[in-house]
Amino acid sequence: MAAALAASLPAPSAAPAPAAPTYEAIPASMSKVIDIEAEIPLTSVQLDGMVVTKIIKHSREAHGWTAHGLLLGLDFDGTLEVSNSFALPNHASDDDDKSAKGIARYQAAMMRSLKEVQADDSVVGFYQAMTLGSFLNQTLVETQAIHQEKLRHGGVVIVHDLSQTARGNASFRAFRLTKAFFDAYKRNNFSTSSLINHRLTFSSILEEIPLKIRTSPLLSSFIDTLTETTVRSPAGTSPALATSSAALPPSFSVLDLGTSSTSRNLERIIEAVDAYKTEEGNLGYLQRQIAREKSRADAYVAKRKEENAARVAQGLAPLPEEDVSRLFKIPPEPSRLESMLLLGRIDAYAKSLEQTSSTGLVKMYGVKADSGV
Amino acid sequence: MPLDTASSAVYIQNTGPGFNSAPGRTPTSVTVHPVALFSILDHYLRRTDAQDRVIGTLLGSRSDNGEVEVRSAFAVLHSETEEQVAVDMEYHRTMYELHHKVNPKEVIVGWYSTGSNLNTYSALIQNFYSQETAPHQAVHLAVNTGVEGGGQAGVKAFVGSAVGVVPKPENCVFVPIPCELRFNESERSGLDLLATTASAPNSSIPHPIADLEVLERSLKSVSEMLDRVLSYVQSVLAGEVKGDAAVGRYLMDTLGSTTEDLEKGGFNSALQDTLMVSYLASLVRSQAEVSARLALVTAS
Repeated sequence: MAAALAASLPAPSAAPAPAAPTYEAIPASMSKVIDIEAEIPLTSVQLDGMVVTKIIKHSREAHGWTAHGLLLGLDFDGTLEVSNSFALPNHASDDDDKSAKGIARYQAAMMRSLKEVQADDSVVGFYQAMTLGSFLNQTLVETQAIHQEKLRHGGVVIVHDLSQTARGNASFRAFRLTKAFFDAYKRNNFSTSSLINHRLTFSSILEEIPLKIRTSPLLSSFIDTLTETTVRSPAGTSPALATSSAALPPSFSVLDLGTSSTSRNLERIIEAVDAYKTEEGNLGYLQRQIAREKSRADAYVAKRKEENAARVAQGLAPLPEEDVSRLFKIPPEPSRLESMLLLGRIDAYAKSLEQTSSTGLVKMYGVKADSGV
Repeated sequence: MPLDTASSAVYIQNTGPGFNSAPGRTPTSVTVHPVALFSILDHYLRRTDAQDRVIGTLLGSRSDNGEVEVRSAFAVLHSETEEQVAVDMEYHRTMYELHHKVNPKEVIVGWYSTGSNLNTYSALIQNFYSQETAPHQAVHLAVNTGVEGGGQAGVKAFVGSAVGVVPKPENCVFVPIPCELRFNESERSGLDLLATTASAPNSSIPHPIADLEVLERSLKSVSEMLDRVLSYVQSVLAGEVKGDAAVGRYLMDTLGSTTEDLEKGGFNSALQDTLMVSYLASLVRSQAEVSARLALVTAS
């Protein structure tokens, strides 16, 4: 997907338009909030009601793979207004190159079509569905890195937690890569020293941007009509015959204990821990190999020095100091990116478990307090 | 969950067995997913000045019992003048192909338009969409946005029916069929979120909301309901209102359950399990944190 995105995104340098006439057209009161050069930093993300439902629907329908799609919108006075989105086709089956081209074509065609019906057609980021709070993976980081380079303002990624939504609290969060991580990523250097220099742990890969949900006045009024209870009582007085009908009756699924996903959550933690252990094993193996090669090189150098000292003592000319790096291939230090992402996943799973159990506890004590009377 | 105010239309349906499998059968009811509805409203917001109404294609699925499920919608360009109506068919095809790539299960089931006027052009467009959905019949959703010309916001569904001795495309009777809002239960919270947003001042709320906040809101609404029931019961007891046996029975069933035998049902062990899980989760988190810090330590 990453390559496809790169191919279809406009080059950043294409942005500057004939500026002078545009400035005149902007009224003085608005000139402060409109920035042509993308100078005002993003402080918040605003998600339109339609996008909320679109993402939820797409995420729920995509069984077995992670749903992802593109966000369209505009930025205005530091707020990124996401006004539309569309789903990207799942590309797991095809071979990479072909599907990447297909997606790029799909994306271009979709954006052209949306433009024709006056919808926003500038990409501002992408969304991804997740379960149980964990979303960090290589693809997400890669895609966001490409966006951060190519898009105006760098773009955002919005993640949607399916399991939390099913529990009754729809969850959307907006993220982008931190400067430190992006810098390290560009250099493609995730060795220990680089991590220390950039002060990177799993919690500093992404920074969260405050998110707001907004509904347009038309949508608000329509939803009001939906939730409005129209009580019809044909007999007039008898409340039993009165039917209360609303398109959206109140729901109380939040009051359920919601511990059904606990075992799955625990399984995921175990899986993630196992994966982390394997990754650590690999890293350890590579580290040991590096150490072994280094010590062999050191021993060789020491031996050569000793020999030379002996030869000098005997009055002979010393042997030339050979290039050690040519004789011993010291492997490059392994990247710690994967293990960092895995740790982030473990943390996210545990956090979601923590949240479920803590609200569960509150509900249980609430029930108990009632029975204790 | 009906989507419109009570209609006086009588829905005449032939639901006899043996009638069901025919492909050309008339749809008996329509369910609409919120995504489709909200897309239509968004399209209406983005119309040009010249457009009185907007139209678009409905995608979804048909079930065997004649129910049409509208699952998403996309806008289609069209223009209406005094003399003629034009629908951008090429655009419609392109968009359908694009949608089909992402969600192959969704097929064209009909079309929507905003406003509730059905005219000759509607009949012509209906004719066009009937060709698209053949051999099935196309459904038409008339979305009243509640903005213009009075009338409450709502959605009406129609099927077209040919009229006249010699059927012509511009002649059509739109027969109303029942229309409901339907969504998956797991999507419910998303709609709740939007409903909260819609009632908030300047229609935007900060996000995410903590689980406990949602719980609190829900408890408050339960408490309000209890208050309402209580005041009703008190007024019955005081003799102001004549009691209703059916309501009494419902209340009995709902409130009669006690929490006394909680101890027997392993409540305490469940509580302890939950506590245990909570401790475990925080342990895992601190381990992960320590591990991340240890990765930053060098041998030197």
